[in-house]
Amino acid sequence: MKDTSPPPPIVSLRAVQKYYGTYHALRGIDLDIGEGEFFSLLGPSGCGKTTLLRTIAGFEDISEGTLLLSGQDMSGVPANKRPTNMVFQSYAIFPHLSVAENVAFGLRRRSDLSKQARQVMVEEALDMVGLGGYGARAAHALSGGQRQRVALARALILKPKVLLLDEPLSALDKKLREQMQNELRRLQRHVGITFVLVTHDQEEALIMSDRIAVMFEGEIAQLADPQTLYRRPLSRRVADFIGVMNFLPARATETGAEISGLGRATITPEQCPAGPLSGDCTIGIRPETMSILFGDEPAPASETRGLVHELAYYGDMTYYDILLDGVEKPVTLSMKNLVGRRVLERGETARISWDERALVAFAN
Amino acid sequence: MTWLRGYAVLYLVFLYAPIVLLPIFAFNDSTIIAFPLSGFTTQWFTEIPNTPALVKSVQTSLIIAVTTALLSTTLGICAARAGAKYSFPGKAPMLGFIMLPLVLPEIIVAVSLLVVLLALGLPLGGWTVILGHTLICTPFCIAILNSAFGNLDASLEEAAFDLGETRWSTFRLITLPLVMPGIISALLISFTISLDEFIIAFFLTGTEPTLPVYLWGQLRFPQKIPVVMALGTILVALSVILLTIAEIARRRGIARAGGKDTGGFL
Repeated sequence: MKDTSPPPPIVSLRAVQKYYGTYHALRGIDLDIGEGEFFSLLGPSGCGKTTLLRTIAGFEDISEGTLLLSGQDMSGVPANKRPTNMVFQSYAIFPHLSVAENVAFGLRRRSDLSKQARQVMVEEALDMVGLGGYGARAAHALSGGQRQRVALARALILKPKVLLLDEPLSALDKKLREQMQNELRRLQRHVGITFVLVTHDQEEALIMSDRIAVMFEGEIAQLADPQTLYRRPLSRRVADFIGVMNFLPARATETGAEISGLGRATITPEQCPAGPLSGDCTIGIRPETMSILFGDEPAPASETRGLVHELAYYGDMTYYDILLDGVEKPVTLSMKNLVGRRVLERGETARISWDERALVAFAN
Repeated sequence: MTWLRGYAVLYLVFLYAPIVLLPIFAFNDSTIIAFPLSGFTTQWFTEIPNTPALVKSVQTSLIIAVTTALLSTTLGICAARAGAKYSFPGKAPMLGFIMLPLVLPEIIVAVSLLVVLLALGLPLGGWTVILGHTLICTPFCIAILNSAFGNLDASLEEAAFDLGETRWSTFRLITLPLVMPGIISALLISFTISLDEFIIAFFLTGTEPTLPVYLWGQLRFPQKIPVVMALGTILVALSVILLTIAEIARRRGIARAGGKDTGGFL
């Protein structure tokens, strides 16, 4: 596993509370974001992630607690005086200005720059986001992907300490979104600026981030790097939100657990991220850590049997819903459609291989 | 289909025939308003500047119309921006009440204003007409400016602020240019409404009548009617030109902001 200790914090929140009237939007946020990190705030809509981002930007006051940006207290400092810049969900490109005027907008207050210096900076910023030569175009004539790039160039030209991105890819179609995910990651490494991204798309967060804070109801439910988050979720809720996980009822034993449908397994302390188990508990297992055994193929680890209840053929993968003995709800497992591998039919009995190292345990 | 088409034609004739008659008789060389026409003349137009009372009433009307346009557009900007940007308790009923004079009969507005002014013992004059006209023009301005401010993405202002501008420079650099066509449109429409308005002006005017009030007074003298017709022709032409400019400005503003056309009067 990767070293998860963050570099020196550039954004630091301590016991931050935010109320809108009686609505408690942020409930005691403690968070350090390191210099040069690609950090994501992930959660369902209404979890407070956008509020948190707008708090860092200075568009929302915090009700209680402190916010430090590179060590400086930000209370009473408005958005226009903070070392942060934002890329808005709607991109907020000024429609009455050209692309170059949009990008140069933040330089208006920089009286130390000559006209030539500005032009060079704008050209460089546009080149950086792949829009070299677009400066003279009218902003309202750009496509969604191009607007996004202009918004990035306009924010990055000011070399902020932190770039805040509010669901920047949600308005793009799937292909373009995947392309922009890679480009954002590349751009962040290139400029070395701290990026704080708000997203509700767990896949996007996993692909791009160094670390992710998963938020529910105004609280950080887990803060970890993508691999830890996926493999060792702290709660069923986090596990359910990040990818797909099957949950099976179980009973804790001395060395592990007795799991419905699977049988006895050894569970190490690392597999209980939320603490040691006792009594009734729940065991989580990801679809891709189980597989179907064909013919008399030997099981690499443990083995069980089940009935194919439903299946979904995706081309590269097939997802099976399997009914295990003694378990009401079918478990999902995924199989790569390798050459020569048969796709099972509904009602077939299948031999299923699983590995106890892939299990995660949760208290009930 | 032919029946429907005939209906549409009749409808338009009924609407616009009286207005078309206006310029016809304005150029007719006779004091009697009747067919057949007796000849072409521009005499009635040249008589306009030689009638001091008429010139005076035009001046009064222009002062009132310009002041009304500025006042009601300013109030309209405040209301439309507040309505588009902020939420506050009682917002919907408040905005509803501001819009009410739009559907209130003018005679009622005029009479109640007169009663209030007399009860307060205030003298009637140009400013009381301005007051009344601002009351009826403001809802029109709000209706126009609502579409201008409503099409404005709130994050545009936040983005400018985030990029280092102050609240005021953000308003000047971003908000104002994007709603400017709406403002021009509101100014022109309120100017036109005030210039043409009769009932409120008739009730609230003091010793200096506005143009419509003066014209109404002249109808008692048949020999003056052609001059009235000439002036009416100029007013209709002016109104059409101003309203056209206003609508062009409004549409251009929507196109510039990349929004959809959701309102307007034309």
